Amino acid sequence: MFKRFYTLLLFTFVVLSCSEESDPKFDSENFTTIFDNYKFSIAYKPIDMLQTSDGGYIVLGSRKLQDSNYSGIYLLKADKNGNFVKELEVDDNYVNPVGHFTQIGETYNFFCMQYPSDSLKANIASVDVNIENITFTPVSSSTPDGINPTYPSVASLVDNSFLLQCYDHLNRQTALLVVNPTSGAVSAGKAFTLGVGAADNVDEAVQNSFLYAGRRFPYEVGKVGGLYFFNGFFDFNFSLVFTDLNADDPNGFVFGQQPDFNGGFSSVVSLGASKFAASTFFFGENYIMPNALIQTSGPSSMTPDELPGLSFPELVTNANVKILRSTINNKSVLIYGSDTKTKEIGLYFYDEATGEFLGSRYLGFSNPFEIAGIINTSDGGIAVCGTTYVAGRFPRICIFKLSKEEIAQNVK
Amino acid sequence: MKRLYIILFCFLIMAQASAQDKKRKPSKAYNKQSNENEKFLDKQWWLGFKAGTNLSNPHVLKTYSVFSPTNYSPEESGKKYEHFAQLGAQATIEASFYFKGFYFSLQPTYQHSRFMYTNTYSWTDDEVPTNSLQLNYEQEQKVDHFIIPFLIKYDFAGSKLRPYVQIGAYSAILINANKFVTISGVDNASGGANEFTDPTIIVGAKDLFAKSSWGLIGGAGLNYTLGNVRLNLDAQYKYGMSNITSTKNRNSSDSLSGVGDILDDMTLDNLSLSIGCLFPMRFLANGFKSSDR
Repeated sequence: MFKRFYTLLLFTFVVLSCSEESDPKFDSENFTTIFDNYKFSIAYKPIDMLQTSDGGYIVLGSRKLQDSNYSGIYLLKADKNGNFVKELEVDDNYVNPVGHFTQIGETYNFFCMQYPSDSLKANIASVDVNIENITFTPVSSSTPDGINPTYPSVASLVDNSFLLQCYDHLNRQTALLVVNPTSGAVSAGKAFTLGVGAADNVDEAVQNSFLYAGRRFPYEVGKVGGLYFFNGFFDFNFSLVFTDLNADDPNGFVFGQQPDFNGGFSSVVSLGASKFAASTFFFGENYIMPNALIQTSGPSSMTPDELPGLSFPELVTNANVKILRSTINNKSVLIYGSDTKTKEIGLYFYDEATGEFLGSRYLGFSNPFEIAGIINTSDGGIAVCGTTYVAGRFPRICIFKLSKEEIAQNVK
Repeated sequence: MKRLYIILFCFLIMAQASAQDKKRKPSKAYNKQSNENEKFLDKQWWLGFKAGTNLSNPHVLKTYSVFSPTNYSPEESGKKYEHFAQLGAQATIEASFYFKGFYFSLQPTYQHSRFMYTNTYSWTDDEVPTNSLQLNYEQEQKVDHFIIPFLIKYDFAGSKLRPYVQIGAYSAILINANKFVTISGVDNASGGANEFTDPTIIVGAKDLFAKSSWGLIGGAGLNYTLGNVRLNLDAQYKYGMSNITSTKNRNSSDSLSGVGDILDDMTLDNLSLSIGCLFPMRFLANGFKSSDR
């Protein structure tokens, strides 16, 4: 009898040991969230995303304003599992939010501009982790060469200061400014011409890019060695420009293509010296260059003949491309994220050292999806922020969170 | 703690079986042959087959959703489960050892179970209230498990018709799973009322379910003796004790998350009805003649 007794006991233990255990860690490591709103006309567009110190996420987005062609500011807070916590529609007097969304201490910062008062001046917006308090610090008008810090395009934190690209609409020039994150004071800067005598169409394109429904150009800023660079309008083209912020003329530039700005860089990240991870658009085609050597002095061109890349016909015309430097399986990896013609978000993985293709992953199904941002997360995974069109028509912000183990499966 | 109770429960069952053994004392009234037959019939092996249909009843442990509403209650678009609504099927091989009124039965089963839930999402235009869109999601799960139940059956006294009750536990191993998502709706924003149903999306979902699960079984049945064979009508209620969803792979299907679907943590109860037959494996005489006690 005892033998049977033990057998049953053993059976019971075997059965119990096989059951599925719930682990809260799984809920935060992997999730997909679509932030829905029942209103027909609501349209929030994500711009960038940050993981907050509490493990949650803040999405910086834009929203359509009733009384302005500029886009308003929208912020959304999600918890570490991707659940909606809070949203904030910022005062209509501040418009045109732009990335990069940057954490400094316990504040989360981005640039926007004041409208209609104070002449479209760039402001640093700082929000707390719970998006309860938001403050604005105008960029100082005391700038080198009398540059007007209007129409902010993009900003990055470089050497503990913001490197801000903006469009000085009064002097019709693209400007690069070094801005103190706390005071808004400008410590250095230089402006570059849009093209003498033919700035009207450039000016129109630039100004349209700041409107809610206008074509969005892939503005970018950064630093490589002792040079700063910006991807923006310069001398009739959408070009990649290198400057030391001292000389009036750029140290180097890679021309984009006219007409209608049909060629240029869609993303660019410095990997050190003259090595870049980049992508270009050229008359509708898209090229990815995970290991590009771009000369930072003198003029050059980004045409596929002169700067060859991997052709990606699966991407939409003039695709929005995001590049993330990450570490997967103890290897430095470049993750390219972009929008495919099948309306998915495509992730492409490359070895940072060699440029070798390591794998791909596609996010989304049935409804269209578009990428807005991609970040590393504190658990070693990544998070992708984007827009999905629920029921094929309602634009809604979405977040894909992928665990370290999951993305490791996508890398050879 | 819950598991400790289960183990204690199993101990009690065995203790009760042991007590029954001790109460049965050999009768002195039988002659030698009768005593030998009696002794022989104290033990018997039964082997058989049964098959039938089942209904599933999901119990949600924790709800999950891809949609996170910003201006309406999550309950409005929450999943609504259908209980005991979709017919499944099962086939079982039964091997039972009879010993003094009790059957110790192992019943490996292939079980195909189905269950469904629905969601409804609505969007309306504040400025033009007649503009609206309603989407109805029907999400059907078809899950195949190989189930290994261990049962103790108690056979009431009887001759031809022998009712029994049974209790036990089971371990289930996932074999396959598929999800079928059908989206339909009413579009009142395209110039009129437009009712539509999209083609069903079929997604392999094996990774989304737990590789194994377990539960308890209770049930009753009837055996009808027909010659050497017993015809069997068997009803079982499987009470799921563990989560049937893979907590790790819940989000692994981009196809499903793309359409806004994600599995909840849940246990799955199952009510099954089977018919079959049992054959004795030990015989009193040549010619395959057996006898029942």
